Amino acid sequence: MINTDGMVAETAAKIYTDLCGREVPHQAEAGEYPQALWDALQENGLPLAWVGEANGGFGADYDETFGAIWASAQAASPVPFAETLIANWMLDRAGLAPANGSASFALSGRTPSADIPFGMHADKIVLFDETHQEISLFDNRAAVRSPEEALSPDGMTQFIFSGHLAEQSAKTNLPRRAVEALILTVRAVQMAAAMETALNLSIDYVCQREQFGRPLSKFQAIQQQLAVAASECAAATMAATQAASAIARHTDDPEKAWHEAVIAKVQIGHSVEAVTVPFHQVHGAMGYTQEYDLHHYTRRLWAWRDALGNEYHWSRRLGEELSQQSPDQIWKGVTTGDWVAS
Amino acid sequence: MQRFNFPVIQPDPALEELRGELQRFLKTERDEGNFKPEPECWMASADPEFSKKMGTRGWIGLTWSSQYGGHDKTALERYIVTEETLRAGAPVGAHWIADRQHAPMLLKHGTEEQKLDILPRIAAGECYFAIGLSEPGAGSDLANVNTRAEKVANGWKINGQKIWSSGAHISHYMVALLRTSSADGRNRHVGLSQIMIDLSLPGVTIKPIVDLSGDAHFNEVYFEDVIVSDDCLLGDEGGGWKQVTGELAMERSGPERFLSSYITLETALWQLSGKMGSDSHALLGKLIANLRTLKGMSWAIANLLDQGVSPETEAALVKDLGNRLENDLTLQARAMLNDLPSDQWSPDMRRIMNIGVLRSPPNTLRGGTTEVMRGITARQLGLR
Repeated sequence: MINTDGMVAETAAKIYTDLCGREVPHQAEAGEYPQALWDALQENGLPLAWVGEANGGFGADYDETFGAIWASAQAASPVPFAETLIANWMLDRAGLAPANGSASFALSGRTPSADIPFGMHADKIVLFDETHQEISLFDNRAAVRSPEEALSPDGMTQFIFSGHLAEQSAKTNLPRRAVEALILTVRAVQMAAAMETALNLSIDYVCQREQFGRPLSKFQAIQQQLAVAASECAAATMAATQAASAIARHTDDPEKAWHEAVIAKVQIGHSVEAVTVPFHQVHGAMGYTQEYDLHHYTRRLWAWRDALGNEYHWSRRLGEELSQQSPDQIWKGVTTGDWVAS
Repeated sequence: MQRFNFPVIQPDPALEELRGELQRFLKTERDEGNFKPEPECWMASADPEFSKKMGTRGWIGLTWSSQYGGHDKTALERYIVTEETLRAGAPVGAHWIADRQHAPMLLKHGTEEQKLDILPRIAAGECYFAIGLSEPGAGSDLANVNTRAEKVANGWKINGQKIWSSGAHISHYMVALLRTSSADGRNRHVGLSQIMIDLSLPGVTIKPIVDLSGDAHFNEVYFEDVIVSDDCLLGDEGGGWKQVTGELAMERSGPERFLSSYITLETALWQLSGKMGSDSHALLGKLIANLRTLKGMSWAIANLLDQGVSPETEAALVKDLGNRLENDLTLQARAMLNDLPSDQWSPDMRRIMNIGVLRSPPNTLRGGTTEVMRGITARQLGLR
């Protein structure tokens, strides 16, 4: 279970309940950006949850901040809350002040361009440049942005670098794997939350929709499909929780959470197909419409499973790493979550 | 509000110490040739001598009181023991069922005399139990059991037949679900009771059933006017259905539901050491992610059980996911070996892989079929 108790998680949940009802993601896609939602998150300081007090944040528990991310994904957040948390975390780790406004991030050098999640709505961009061991903050509004044919409404845009000057920049010894661990864990929590919300939609739908004189839920073929999907959702929540717990346990050295984060990515990424297929199947044509809510979750799941490399990429990366280790070390990792970096 | 309750448990160094002891013992036993590792060892690989060694070391009966020969440990410590023996493919089949479910059942429903008599022998690895649920006419439709126990002076008289009873031929007792009174119209869940039967009693006949590989680890058990005393009724007369479904929930979430074929994967890893292709890397990465996730789920349930919570839905989910993974472990281990013709495999690899394939069909049957598990989940989701 993702921890949804505590001030950060509860405040976020309340803001999303109050200001991001089911009509809000629809309106956002029609071009009506929910500024009030973003303002409320910002006024409550939530995007600074992972910024240390020295840099003007409040260094909240990792655990309960993951609860806040869960709430945002349940509401199909049309504002870049999770992205801003990640961007500010990166700045904080480099000793830089948090972004003024919303932010997103990329893990690449400056040339020639970078894919930016939620790029259309982020005020700032934080770049992690592994080669130069540097973290920099750019203004996104002045940049050339080319929206891609996106899988999801908060999908990728490209940030094209042409002589942009960083607003802030600092050297960092943060290893790439630490950044990967945090990003993959955040995505895992979002995916698990989106899956569970889409499961709930599917259950409600089959209990209401009648064919052949009875609700769809009474057909065994429907029951068994949703039971399988539910097991995948439960596994997704477990994998996300284990990754979140590893991040919280290794605050000083997030690289140590890399294996658990990659495992969550692989587990959940592979589950996306196993849940979105039955969810759409039981909804029939209704689930394929823009009017209905299901796509707010399934499109995000399709986008998030691709983010930072898809599940096949990460399966191979994990397997490659483990193939260098003895079966004893692998067993230790499986049973205790205590992985050896090779 | 989250639908599924799987709390994360923080690592505990004391548990890892116990794990180390188990690993050293199991390695020595294997190296000395006292057992050959096998998949599905908890069902199909029984060796009373090995069980007695486990008993001597205090690794059976961990969770119950020393008053009854137990060791006053937690469910998590028991979990470490089961997990390590499964990984090793050790011959734990003789004592497994008694340790897992019948000892807790006796602790709850047995008389003081039974507890003092039987539990220490179970903990010593000397006394074994068989499950008496299925009958020829009662498989997935368990409420259809037809074997009857009729009240007689000072006891019960039993007539009928049980089937698929693993290990009955080496077991001392069976706990059977029996009809003690008629069903109430269409409600067949009433009138069922659990009765403990000494398998050495007159009127008990045990006939082996040979499985497709030629092994005979399960049995038909016939009862003809078998008389047991009153205190053999475990729990409430007529309360058998509720007791059984509660127990099933516990037995569905243990590590045997997803680690029974881990030995196949691990043997393949040794076989492949240093010679794995990139397609195999991808398969390995996915398997390990699935295993780690299921370990988390199963471990979380063990912890909830330790706290007295009985998470039935979560247990059914673990069994469904776990059984699929068990079969996947064997299948994907084969896939990882694709560049190596089987005539170049080590003798262990060949033996373990063949046993793994041959023993795979029951994975998704025993303890409740996949279809039944999904039915339980569907009910919990509010679909039925």
